[in-house]
Amino acid sequence: MGYSLNIAQADALLSALAKDYRVYAPRRFRNQGRYSATDVIRYGEVGKFSEIVWQQKSDYPAKEVINPIQQALFYFTEDEYRESKGPAKPVLILARPCDINAQRVQAKIFAGNGGFTDVYYERMREKVRFAMMECNGGDDTCFCVSMGSNKTDEYSLAFRFSEEGLDAEVKDPDFAAYFAGMPQSGYTPSFVEENELKVTVPDLEDKAVRQALKKHLMWKEFDGRCISCGACTVACSTCTCFTTRDIIYGDNPEVGERRRVTASCQIAGFDQMAGQKEFRATAGDRMRYKVLHKFHDYKVRFGESHMCVGCGRCTHRCPEMISISATVNKMNAAVSEIKSGMAKQ
Amino acid sequence: MNHDINIKKLRLNCFRQSKVPGEFMLQLRVPGGTVDAKYLTMVQHIANTWGDGNFHFGTRQTFDITGIKYDKIPEVNEYLETYIREVDEELCSVDMDQVAHEPQPWDPKAGYPTIGARNITGCIGNYHCICGNINTFELARKIEPIIFPSHYHIKINISGCPNDCNKAHMCDFGIIGVSKIDYHPERCIGCGACVRACEHGATRVLSLNEGSGRIDKDPCCCVGCGECVKACPTSAWTRREEPLYRVILGGRTGRQTPRTGKMFLNWASEDVVLGVLKNWQKFSAWVMDYKPEYLHGGHLIDRAGYKKFKELILDGVKLNPECLVAEDIFWHETEYRSNFNVKPPAMHHTAGPQA
Repeated sequence: MGYSLNIAQADALLSALAKDYRVYAPRRFRNQGRYSATDVIRYGEVGKFSEIVWQQKSDYPAKEVINPIQQALFYFTEDEYRESKGPAKPVLILARPCDINAQRVQAKIFAGNGGFTDVYYERMREKVRFAMMECNGGDDTCFCVSMGSNKTDEYSLAFRFSEEGLDAEVKDPDFAAYFAGMPQSGYTPSFVEENELKVTVPDLEDKAVRQALKKHLMWKEFDGRCISCGACTVACSTCTCFTTRDIIYGDNPEVGERRRVTASCQIAGFDQMAGQKEFRATAGDRMRYKVLHKFHDYKVRFGESHMCVGCGRCTHRCPEMISISATVNKMNAAVSEIKSGMAKQ
Repeated sequence: MNHDINIKKLRLNCFRQSKVPGEFMLQLRVPGGTVDAKYLTMVQHIANTWGDGNFHFGTRQTFDITGIKYDKIPEVNEYLETYIREVDEELCSVDMDQVAHEPQPWDPKAGYPTIGARNITGCIGNYHCICGNINTFELARKIEPIIFPSHYHIKINISGCPNDCNKAHMCDFGIIGVSKIDYHPERCIGCGACVRACEHGATRVLSLNEGSGRIDKDPCCCVGCGECVKACPTSAWTRREEPLYRVILGGRTGRQTPRTGKMFLNWASEDVVLGVLKNWQKFSAWVMDYKPEYLHGGHLIDRAGYKKFKELILDGVKLNPECLVAEDIFWHETEYRSNFNVKPPAMHHTAGPQA
């Protein structure tokens, strides 16, 4: 069923939803950008239409709501411990198709990977419903169409925002009651069909090609350009890597909590072993690892799709202006070069 | 050629005497060092029509045009009306019909009424720079109507951040844009990028606390540069919305006692900075017994003494809660001759109303 709501009606809808759900959407955090007098758009709880930033893509992904940068896993006192509590209230997340598709990747990693389901992820995920924000085309870092993640039907509600209010589709009957008395319309959501950016992911089935690509000079470029800050993976819609950290309360080392904290394969030390051995000691090595993980390894292991949904946030957040789409296209060119070299031999 | 020229009058009119007799260099004010590029065509026109075709970047970010013959100055001044009206009157809201806040009608065909308060310089600031904390030229345009036109001499340099590319430390009244920084520990991944950035580029006030996995900060010595914000991959450090300012006082160059300025105010709000500058002319007038003379602002502070300066300059200024004020300032001067200040009492300068 479709509806068309003006701003006052949208506010009434959000208030009604907020009684039963914690509603999260992209919000503007003024002056909190990397550079002065710039803002950050990231997820936060919303209660009013005007608080929702729909005109542009958020700097940080929707995954932060489900899988926050930090979360307490359990609390300990000497030899006793207590698990942290999961969310009490259901959660409604307003997210674009790329962010919703990214949750499929997160679920692969957290729920069932290696025959194990992560309870902290699961207890949150089962409380989450999505309201799909119809994407108004994204920006010049987006390439969701190339990654096949421009469409989704995994949502309870769909919204199209405008200056006047929002059009809504109610897919999940659980939400029908919130729209009682709201003006009906024939709205059905549409999806981005083409991005300005197009990315060609190379075929890396041949092991010899992969080995040659690993040694290819293209990765050296990043030794000089990438500063290994990890902003790309923090902004990534799909990255799940974390570490655990025990936090001690005050001066008593017997009392504290264990936290899950986001980690990044791009930050030096991520793969450091006992004896200080690192597998990927340079920025170029780490970049190669990330790119191949997103655009080859994950798909080989889990099938269906690549790990990247083409949201472009890594490109958008990179302080050194390294573009993931340009990098994949460079990789594609390198693979063509390798393959034609092999064909001549 | 006319050899009877009142060069002091021309200097006041922003024409500087050349070593070539009868030639002068025009200095056009560019508050904050940024102005619409369309004015470059006016600069070019002046240089080609009345000057020697050359253009010089003034050391105080003025547009300087050399080789203007004395008898052409009235024509040049007439041409300048548009520039002065658009840049000073319109862009900076300067009241041209007053000097040092006293009514004095301006003749728009006669060029600049005074050179007193020098052009306010600025780095490009956060209009462009990734390090800048403030918009330097917007601040300059707010200060210009406070200090100009006035015969009292003050040099103001504005830097967008504590890196101080624009040498706020080397002028009477240097303004540096700073930010109070908030920490959001829930977004911190403990990567240490901020710790390294602060150590490498600022004052080493950050350290990783192994017990909490968070960053500890020694707030006393934070310079408010924002390098931690720039380095953070998660937006765990953010600038507060209102930019603040550090004021560096009494820096100067010169043939006698050059010195770097010292911190006068830290974490001052814009209102405080503008309020202090509104007292500048009153202070200068008092020191010189209400008779402006060609004397750099820093020397006025020397004559009055810092404590008297502080009393007069902060008169009626309501400090913002974060604002810190130097109780005292002890400058370190380069004395080109030792014991420079030791001389017969009759040679001593005076300050304040004289009997």
